[in-house]
Order: sequence, then C-alpha cells, then structure tokens
Amino acid sequence: MRRFFKTYLPFSRAGMQMMLAYRSDFFFHLIGEMLVCIVMYFVWLAVFESSDTQTFMGFSMTDMTVYLFISFVTSYLTYSEGATALGEEIRDGSIVMRMIKPVKFDMTFLFQELGGRVIEVVIALVPMCAAVEIYKYCVTGSVMFDPLYFLLFIISTAIAYLVSFYFNVCYGFTAFFLKNLWGANVLKDAVISFLSGAKIPLAFMPPMLQSVLMLLPFASLSYTPVMIYMGMYDALEILWSVLLQLFWLFALWALSKLIWRLAVKRLCVQGG
Amino acid sequence: MIKSIRRILRMHRIFIAQDLKKLMEYKVDFLTGMFGFIIYQTINLIFLWVIFSNIPALKGWTYEQIIFIYGFSLLPKGIDHLFFDHLWNVGYWYIAKGEFDKYLTRPINPLFTVIVERFQVDALGEMVVGIALIASTIGKVSLQWSVLNVILFILILPFATLIYTGIKIITTSVAFWTKRSGQITHVCYLVNDFAKYPTTIYNDVIRNVITYIIPFAFTAFYPASYFITGENPLFNLGGTVIAAVVLMAVGVLLWNKGVSVYESAGS
Repeated sequence: MRRFFKTYLPFSRAGMQMMLAYRSDFFFHLIGEMLVCIVMYFVWLAVFESSDTQTFMGFSMTDMTVYLFISFVTSYLTYSEGATALGEEIRDGSIVMRMIKPVKFDMTFLFQELGGRVIEVVIALVPMCAAVEIYKYCVTGSVMFDPLYFLLFIISTAIAYLVSFYFNVCYGFTAFFLKNLWGANVLKDAVISFLSGAKIPLAFMPPMLQSVLMLLPFASLSYTPVMIYMGMYDALEILWSVLLQLFWLFALWALSKLIWRLAVKRLCVQGG
Repeated sequence: MIKSIRRILRMHRIFIAQDLKKLMEYKVDFLTGMFGFIIYQTINLIFLWVIFSNIPALKGWTYEQIIFIYGFSLLPKGIDHLFFDHLWNVGYWYIAKGEFDKYLTRPINPLFTVIVERFQVDALGEMVVGIALIASTIGKVSLQWSVLNVILFILILPFATLIYTGIKIITTSVAFWTKRSGQITHVCYLVNDFAKYPTTIYNDVIRNVITYIIPFAFTAFYPASYFITGENPLFNLGGTVIAAVVLMAVGVLLWNKGVSVYESAGS
C-alpha cells in the first residue's frame, strides 16, 4: 500500500503543478462555465415568474437555484478528461512509453488528474457550497445544513468522479475510431449533460424515461450526489443509489481493463 | 482594387477546396462533428420543450417566438464557425509556440491567411438546426415574410456574424501581448449563450453588458425581435450593423498593432 502511494503520488504532484502553471486557463474556464449557469438561472427565474404556481414539478425556485449551482459544481468536479488522450496515443504509438514503464496506465492518469482536483475542490466546491448555504439562509431564514448529508454528498461525489474517470477511459479508446476529437467531445458532453440530469433535473422527465435514466451510469455522475445534498432522498434511496454508483464504478472499471487488454494484444506500433 | 478582391476570392476558393479534399479523406470525422452539434442543439430544444410544456409563455414570449429567436441565434454563430474558426488556434497555440511566423513569411495578409486556412464544416450542424427551427415557425410567429423583410433578414446575417468574428479577432489579438489568450476568447464567446433568450429575462447589469459591452444580444435577440414584432428597426437592426462595424474596426486595428509587436517564441 505504501509502495503504491509512493509510486503514484508524484503523478498527483505533477498534476497539481500543471494546474498551478496553467492557473489562468483554469480560472477563465471556471468563469465561462459559471456564465452558462447564470443564463440557466435567469431562464428558470423567468419560468417561475411566468408560472401560476409557486412550484414547478415539485421544485421551488430556491430548490431550483440550489440544484443549478450544486449540480454545476458537481459536474465540474466529476468531469474527467485526462484519459481522453488514450485513443490518440494508441494511434500515434506514443502509448509504448506507458507500456514500458512499471506503472499501471489508469493509475497514472487517475493520480495526475486527482492532483489538480484537490486545488479545484478548494477553489470551486468550498466557496460554492458556502454561497449556496448563505443563499438558502437568506431565503428561508433558517440554517438547514446537515453535516451528515454533506459527508454523504462528498462520498457520493468521489464515487461519481471515479465512475466518470473510468467512463472516460473507455471513451478514450473510441477516440481511436472517431478521430474528430472536438466534434466527438461536443457530442459526448451534450449527451452526458442531458442523461446525467445536469441540463434538466431527471425529476422533470416523463416517468418512464426517468426510471430508465436513473439506472444508467450517467445518473451516477452528478444527479445522485446533488439529490443527496438537497436532502431529496431518504436513507433507503441514498443506500440504493450509492450502491448503484458502486456497481457502475465496478462495471466500467472492468470494461476499461478488458478493452485495454484487447487493445494491447492487437497493438502494432510502427517504427519511430 | 477589383483585381485584388478577385485575387483574394480566388485564393479563398482554393483554400476551401483543399479543406473539402481533407474532408473526403476523413468522412467519419465530418459526420461525428456535424452530428455532435446537431445533438447538442436538440438537447437544448428538449429543455425548452420541457419548460413550455408547463407554462404558456416565458415573460410574454411564446414557444414559437422563443424557437425563432433560438434558431436565428444559430445562423450567425454557424456562419462564423464555418469561416472564422481558425482564429481559436492562433490565440491558444500559434502565437505561444511561435508558429505564427509562417503567416508573416507569406505574401498575403496574415489575418486573411489565418482565416481561410480552415473551413470548419462541423458548423453545418448548427446551421441546419437553425434553418430548420426558423422554417418550423413560419406561419406560427406573427412576422410577415414580405420581400423587404426577407432582404433585411439576408442583409443582417453577415453583420450579426461579424459581431462574433470581431469579438474573436479582438480577444485573439490580445495574445500578441500576452502570448496566449484562447481562454479569454472562450469566456467572451460563451457570453453568446445569453443571446439565445429575450434580454427581458435578465437583470439590468447583464442586459447592459450583452447590449453595450459584449454585444451578443445584437447577434440574435434584437434583430430577431424586429422580425417578430416589427418594432424599433433603427435600434434592433441598426444596432447590429453599428456593433459589427465597430467591433471589426477595433479588431483589425488591434490585430495590425499586435502583428507589429509580435515576437516569435525562442528556441
């Protein structure tokens, strides 16, 4: 175990340093994503003002605001793209550099990305949660912050990140076939934002569609942690949805290993 | 003058032909890209549809009117994406890595060369959706497709497009001083998200920013609202023209100034 961390922690340090070196990229990216979130806030505000009732399919404007911003920050933190380069590396052959070293390919990506994530948690998650709690206090006049739910939210977010990571490893291999990385990424991000409930809460979908989407791995990416944060789930629902998250984590991990073995077997790198 | 314009157009054709050849080579690439943008827009439409299945109108705007504004917003965005996409690379990489040198060694205007080097067919996805949306609202929004309005519609599109392009040239030019400005372009570009909805839903600060500072509201909502309501042509259409001219003028000036201070990267 100690050996494991001794091997991979330097990757995290590298990830952290990379993040600090490109900090302006990170800030501008965060601001850009916030803008999209603010647009959605105003659209929902207009929806609630145009609606005759105080709630929209069971959500009040306060709920909706909390949902928007917490869902934004969870999607942001669980977004993983470190392994997208895998397909590209297979194609140009630079993958051999990973194969001749005595480290696991997925762990190197994982630890490198986690290094940057630590900084993001401090800069994005903490202030956002604080802001949301202050907002809730201002609107409702009482503190409803439950440390237990918050802890469960953090655990669920961590699992969500790992699901996202292994999904991305699997997806990285498809980049080998779909060479248009930019277009393929637009496609992937759009589909995920829809299926994971980041664009529209899954609760607003027709019941049939909703029950299907809840079972897919995408709900594990951001919907589950957000629902836990908002206290929308009871104990049994939390248990069930976290188990589902763990199931998808395992399934995607196994799938990524399988694809990796197949790819390595068929890999043919031409001379440099 | 006419000779040089003809020369430029001929070169533009040659560059586009080169890009189309590349396209034929990588057909799957092209389809993924275009399909990606179509799906992206479809999901936004589902979002609108979910909203409107519960309310009759959004602050007085009907579903069809919002769809028209939304479809309109995709056209200038798509045209800019189709012709001027290559500017992104300049701000993100070319200047930082010193690759911009190659444009200076050519006997053609660098800005022109940068622009014509890429013909981004992914954009067709946006344009197809935009046209389909506008077509779907014909007869449902109260606008009259009179000859005059059709001419105005076609005339206003290039100006709305140049608002996008002008903002991209300005923010890209910043890289001549800072080495890298792709992130700034990214943030400014994302402001266009606000333009897809009526500006009346925002608060004063945001409304003023998207009208006077980063005037994306003139790429979609203002001109589209003229076609829907027929009101204020001077502000709604004239504003688009003025914004486009000002942004392009500032952009080209800044670009030229930037090229003159450009220092290639070492090593």
